[in-house]
Amino acid sequence: MKMLAAALVMGVGSIGPALGEAHVAGKALEGMSRNPEMSDKLFTNMIVAMAIIESVAIYCFVIALIILFVS
Amino acid sequence: MTEISLAPEPALELGHFAISNTMTATVLTTLLIIVLAIFVRRGAGIVPSRAQVLFESFFTFFLDQITMAVGSEKKARQLVPIIMTFFTFIFISNLFILLPFVSVLVTGEGFPFLRTPTTDYSMTIALAFMIIAGSHVMALFISPLGHVSNFIRLKGFLKIRKPMDFLMAIIDFFLGILEVVSEVAKVFSLATRLFGNIVAGEVVIAIVVGLMFATKFIVPIPFIVIASFAGVVQAFVFTLLSLLFMSMNIRHASHSH
Repeated sequence: MKMLAAALVMGVGSIGPALGEAHVAGKALEGMSRNPEMSDKLFTNMIVAMAIIESVAIYCFVIALIILFVS
Repeated sequence: MTEISLAPEPALELGHFAISNTMTATVLTTLLIIVLAIFVRRGAGIVPSRAQVLFESFFTFFLDQITMAVGSEKKARQLVPIIMTFFTFIFISNLFILLPFVSVLVTGEGFPFLRTPTTDYSMTIALAFMIIAGSHVMALFISPLGHVSNFIRLKGFLKIRKPMDFLMAIIDFFLGILEVVSEVAKVFSLATRLFGNIVAGEVVIAIVVGLMFATKFIVPIPFIVIASFAGVVQAFVFTLLSLLFMSMNIRHASHSH
């Protein structure tokens, strides 16, 4: 039961961040291709934004770990 | 499979106090930073050494970021030391696992003697709490009344003209209390982000290493590379976000009076 709960947390919880990160990457690439001089600045901002979006998935991961290993 | 524990294991016993293995690693990280600082300072001069160029480029990067966030270079120069200290510390402790012979040292009970400092939740909570509490102290120094009135909003009650105004004042008051909750949530979101990212990398490496005998040697390398990259990015993200929170509090306080 615990295994199933952890698997569900990871599986369902990573859908949203995946879509969000894809959107960020797509938009950033679009911006870079339109304006190549800005690509350095866009790239760092993209990485930071992605890391922030990813933190939702990371929270899910922490919850899954707590379900699995902390009794 | 190797044991995965979220809490740090005891490494030393000093009387009744058990010193955890993240604590020993933290002390080692601090010593490393001091040695690095002395090394870079000794080679510094008009003709820059290679290490000096590296550190000066980091310094200008952060100075630019902080100047953008707080508005003036004079204020930015006051904030650079704390921000860069946090960055250096988190950067080195995230990449702690890359130091040679770190994972080989084992205590008498079989626990590892050193463990990446940021995989201790107390550590990241402490870092995030220092950032948020520090920003509030700074805002209080700039304008005590202005800062408090951001959270306890009584201004709306003073200019009540008709019944509708009373409702708006009450809503504004509760929004101020919600602001307090969001300040507390900031601490946990900053801390969990750093902790989760670093633990995720370590757990993946541990699982791959413990899978079978053949996966012990070459196979973990790509996972270690990904984990190190996440560590570098998280060090940047933590410092940039803490800078954002600090500048938000400071600007709110200096605008509201």
